[in-house]
Amino acid sequence: MRRSLWIRPAVAALAAVTLAGCGLGDPGGANDDNDAKGEVKGRVSLQTWALKPKFTAYMEGVIDAFEKKHPGVEVEWLDQPGEGYSEKVLSQAAGGTLPDVVNLPPDFALPLVRQNMLLDVGAADPALAADYVKGGVDAYRFPGTGGTYGYPWYLNTDVNYWNAEQLRRYGLDPKKPPADLDQLIAAARTVKERSGGKVHLMSRKPGLMDFANAGVQLMSRDGTRFTFNTPEAAALLDRYREAFREGLLPKDVLTETYAGNTRLFSSGAAAWTTAGGNYITSLAVDNPTLAPKVVSSPAMGTPPLYVQGLSVARSSGNRATALALARWITSAGNQAAFARLTSVFPSTKASAGDAFLSRSDGTNAGDAKVTAFASLARARMLEPVQANDAVKTVVNQQIALALSGRTSSREALDTAVARADELLKD
Amino acid sequence: MTHRRWFTPWLLAAPAVVWLAVFNLWPAVNTVILSFTNAKPLGGGRFTGLANYERALGDEQLADALLNSVIYLLICLPLLTFLPLLLALLVEKKLPGITFFRTAFYTPVVASAVVVGLIWGWVLDDRGLLNGILGALGAADRPVSFLTDRWLLLFSAIALTVWKGLGYYMVIYLSALGNVPRELHEAAAVDGASAARRFRHVTLPGVRPAMMLVSVLIAVSALRVFSELYVLSDGTGGPGGRTMSVVMLIQMYSRGFTGHIGYASALSILLFLLTVGPMLLLARLNRKGA
Repeated sequence: MRRSLWIRPAVAALAAVTLAGCGLGDPGGANDDNDAKGEVKGRVSLQTWALKPKFTAYMEGVIDAFEKKHPGVEVEWLDQPGEGYSEKVLSQAAGGTLPDVVNLPPDFALPLVRQNMLLDVGAADPALAADYVKGGVDAYRFPGTGGTYGYPWYLNTDVNYWNAEQLRRYGLDPKKPPADLDQLIAAARTVKERSGGKVHLMSRKPGLMDFANAGVQLMSRDGTRFTFNTPEAAALLDRYREAFREGLLPKDVLTETYAGNTRLFSSGAAAWTTAGGNYITSLAVDNPTLAPKVVSSPAMGTPPLYVQGLSVARSSGNRATALALARWITSAGNQAAFARLTSVFPSTKASAGDAFLSRSDGTNAGDAKVTAFASLARARMLEPVQANDAVKTVVNQQIALALSGRTSSREALDTAVARADELLKD
Repeated sequence: MTHRRWFTPWLLAAPAVVWLAVFNLWPAVNTVILSFTNAKPLGGGRFTGLANYERALGDEQLADALLNSVIYLLICLPLLTFLPLLLALLVEKKLPGITFFRTAFYTPVVASAVVVGLIWGWVLDDRGLLNGILGALGAADRPVSFLTDRWLLLFSAIALTVWKGLGYYMVIYLSALGNVPRELHEAAAVDGASAARRFRHVTLPGVRPAMMLVSVLIAVSALRVFSELYVLSDGTGGPGGRTMSVVMLIQMYSRGFTGHIGYASALSILLFLLTVGPMLLLARLNRKGA
């Protein structure tokens, strides 16, 4: 009898802990209002993504200047490593420990917005839309949420990179590289024939961005289902199928992830890749012999826009300071200084006329930076933010299946859409 | 004088009980509960009954993954049960330099599965070492698709698992062989038994318990394979994702902000049930043998 006194409460406690732990409860804990008025003072935490150790001095300078500008403010800076960042943010969000200001790309921000965990900075700071470029601001506006949930920070886009030495060797002019898919396939055929199949020009299978560039609407307007299984997308995929059958793409594309073509390019097995504006700088470390032989050209079609931004946690106990810090870090002056350290581009309208960004220093890396900066005016987010890693995985799997000839393009796209929709479901 | 209180044994067992409850029992119970919900990493979920299990019945990727796991099991089980035993018999002999071979066979066990997977990836790649050798010998006029064909990718991963596991199971057999009485071998030899007969009637019965243990370990690890397939396919599961294992599928569904924790939990439960089957079968065979 005596034991039953403690066994029952223990079982009840275990059940309660179990049910709470299984995540069936309400996330709760967040204030519903969007108020961010108040004095800029006190402690505030800031989380960035993979900026240490390369940009430690820059970030410390920005933070010191903020603290000097607002006496009584203390910024606690955390920098998370590149790998596993989404898991880190997820665990912080689930545990209610999101930092006050947190670096979130739009696809990370969307699920947090749906759980009411981020502040509508557009409402709290009405000047935001006027100060930042439209593409950057739009990246943090999500269907059905009616707000802006992050300050756009640095931007980037893709540029074409060509191995000039290989192009010349196989009779192509590096000054006039292919500018569309027709020219690319023709040039790939030339490279394959003249290299005896040892070198490929094309080394990337098509993806959602290619479909978007072909005019295919990837998602329904309300963002609830994918719609890329269209005849136009199937026709584009058919062209790649034919190219693969001809041997114009290496077999690796069947299992390579998106970054696979840069790996093949840096090893000299492929003569073309797409990458961000600062690719040559990193290539100079990986393959210093190849880096000087690379030339760049604008991306084919509409260039993709990649956006990083700073969001403010709705649970922040110091919203006014958090907002001021996010705005300070993303201000034109601080972004311009950042762009001088690496090839990223400011998201502020005031930076559009920055001569440093529009003038090359004469190196091929400088040329690529200018090409990327010039492309930003046309760039837009080609992939919907709902296309997360799991969605991209199922899409890539089906595209690979179609390329290998084991299923038709239409069938592969139908399956990809069905599986991607399944992943979107609650 | 000895004081005996009723709670003393509980107090002594408490650390282990708490550890088991928090890190084994609770996650297991939680997984069962989650498998009946549509839980997501954020925002909770609601009870959906058997919906996740119904979804699993119609999941073509799960069917592929189960087939891959069963093939993995059927090939790995005999290979990794008998090859390490033969290796153990070879290196058991006390010969000069035999330590070198023991170490060499054991080295892959110590190496990280991911590092080994990457090295095998370079070897098996279209432009890799093996295709280079085949091309140079004129054995293949075009690269063999070790990593881009559904079945070749699976068999490549199986080869990697067998190569990496040989040394580990060899050590278990070495220990078991040491316990087989030498007198039995000598008596059988005096009676005129050949080496093959001595192996069948003396060695095999002597290492039978170890063989059962090894079989169970192999069955469980083959059904739960992840690293080899993940690294060799660069995380894609091969063309069409048709070379995924069940664990890869669980990882795909559970990761990220919008992961389907409920469905991934249901897959975990199914995998658990699948793993328990061979274990019970082998235990039954072991009892019969005893």
